[in-house]
Amino acid sequence: MTRTPHSLRAEGLSLAYDDRTVVDQLDVELPDGAITVIVGANACGKSTLLRGLARLLKPASGRVLLDGESVHDMASKDVAQVLGLLPQTPLAPDGITVGDLVGRGRYPHQGFFRRWTAEDDRAVAAALESTGTAELVDRRVQDLSGGQRQRVWIAMALAQETDLLLLDEPTTYLDINHQVELLDLLTDLNRAEGTTVVLVLHDLNLACRYADHIIAMKAGRIVAEGAPVDVVDSALVSEVFGLPCEVVPDPVSGTPMIVPRGRHHAGRLVGSAPTAVDAT
Amino acid sequence: MNALEVVQPPAAVHVDAVGSVRRARRRRGTVVTGALAAVAAALFVLTMVVGDYAIGPLQVVASLLGLGDDPGADFVVRDLRLPVAAAALGTGLALGVAGSIFQRLLGNPLASPDFVGVSSGASLFAVSMILLGGGAGLAVSASALVGAVVTAVVVYVLAFRGAVSGYRFILIGIGVQQLCTSLISYVVARADVFEAREAMTWLVGSVGRAGDAELAVLWVALVVLLPLALVLSRSLATLELGDDAAKALGVRVERSRLVLLAVSVALTAVAVAVTGPLLFVALVAGPIAHRLLGPASSGGLLAAGAVGAIVLLSADLVAQNLLPTPLPAGVVTGLLGAPYLIWLLASVNREGRGG
Repeated sequence: MTRTPHSLRAEGLSLAYDDRTVVDQLDVELPDGAITVIVGANACGKSTLLRGLARLLKPASGRVLLDGESVHDMASKDVAQVLGLLPQTPLAPDGITVGDLVGRGRYPHQGFFRRWTAEDDRAVAAALESTGTAELVDRRVQDLSGGQRQRVWIAMALAQETDLLLLDEPTTYLDINHQVELLDLLTDLNRAEGTTVVLVLHDLNLACRYADHIIAMKAGRIVAEGAPVDVVDSALVSEVFGLPCEVVPDPVSGTPMIVPRGRHHAGRLVGSAPTAVDAT
Repeated sequence: MNALEVVQPPAAVHVDAVGSVRRARRRRGTVVTGALAAVAAALFVLTMVVGDYAIGPLQVVASLLGLGDDPGADFVVRDLRLPVAAAALGTGLALGVAGSIFQRLLGNPLASPDFVGVSSGASLFAVSMILLGGGAGLAVSASALVGAVVTAVVVYVLAFRGAVSGYRFILIGIGVQQLCTSLISYVVARADVFEAREAMTWLVGSVGRAGDAELAVLWVALVVLLPLALVLSRSLATLELGDDAAKALGVRVERSRLVLLAVSVALTAVAVAVTGPLLFVALVAGPIAHRLLGPASSGGLLAAGAVGAIVLLSADLVAQNLLPTPLPAGVVTGLLGAPYLIWLLASVNREGRGG
């Protein structure tokens, strides 16, 4: 499928809540058509950076450029036709149905004079289909399971039909099976449509597996970025998370896999079960 | 759940399903809203039919349209009963729409103008005008209007910290409301008995006291503000998803929220100026409309307005005709609304939302 290339980058971007600077003088460029994953410890500014890139926060200094133009100078609806973001905790209005909710993703494509069209139905159907939620279209969102609900939210973001899609911790609240399923779905989207996907993730192993490009943040700054194979090693994990660990190749994908040391298990041989003596 | 397949153009069957579900939703919305409007219109006529001097419904309609041939009936309908019926209809519409906007915008079924200080601010100003300014009639209505707007601005400014969060708005609103209520008690307690009685009567809320000037203001406001509210309902539907989601979808969040709040405050202010504080109408209209609309509730502002009108017209009919002595409508809305509020508080907390 053909799509127009886009560029999204930040120049000297600082983001702050009140007086507290969370992202500090940051320069970053998100590779077009790739999956980028932002990782880092709690409160390192990764979600804030994502919100800043999606113009949800006004920069304290610096700017965010979408195709060379500052996102804060562009009409908000024009940005929303190219750049979508699924927040960490969006709210589902009481009693809303899946079809209605996903349809609200069409907002930037509609106007006072351009109401609902067949094109909107097509986009909603495509979003429901690719997230496997087509059967749920007339169910109420509040009656769904956590996994289904998250897929419905993704469907809403997909219905927006943007070439760039930012997702803030989309796998939180999902069990491991649904996490993998969701990341596979985003990879499908990236491969089939060329959509640029930017994710904040907590699980480092999944991040390394699914990311084409990984950005590791600490205290509002970027510590390392690049292909996971090139940048993720035990020194980086130790620096970013303060976690002593081994990094081994993932037996499935060959990407870096982090094995934490912890304080109680180091030195044990693989396969040796704890004994009563050890436990006391 | 199966493994997800590569994104493909949707099967035609899914597009059709999405379209038909959406059309069914819209059809239901139209039918329910139309039915509610019909009930409100019937009650509007009924209000002018019943009374000591019985006039048939057809004759009422004829008089309203200027086709009547009985000057006595014309006088009763147009000069005596129409102002009351028009006040009840207009105020109910205004309160229903205003309450529904507040509740959806602030994401909380308790966020009715009655509870976030707007109505009590209006009452404080009106009562002060009666007791301290010696005003009556139009002066009292004008004070109520000003009071509602001033209180809303105070709450908004106090709640504003870079952006307005619904929760903070409600809590500050409740605080401001308490303050206004105490000040009302203070002003009334210091007044002489005759004047205090007049103030207390105003505080009950009645559809029967509106003068021509107040009614004109109410209906002009409705003609301007209702279409504006409907235009804004698309932004409202997006703001309901939370600020971040709304911004990501291209809504200018602060501006849209400010305009929506201004519209609902203005609607509440004109309503309170005409009738005094009719409690609970704004609180119950939105949720009742929501229940009736079911999956079609996203466009429910008009339905909420119609429910508001139905509640108020019914309350007035009951208060005037079914009680041993005729009472102001505010007594009935209060009696019906209080149990609903208790139920709401209990169920809201159980479901863990809002409260």
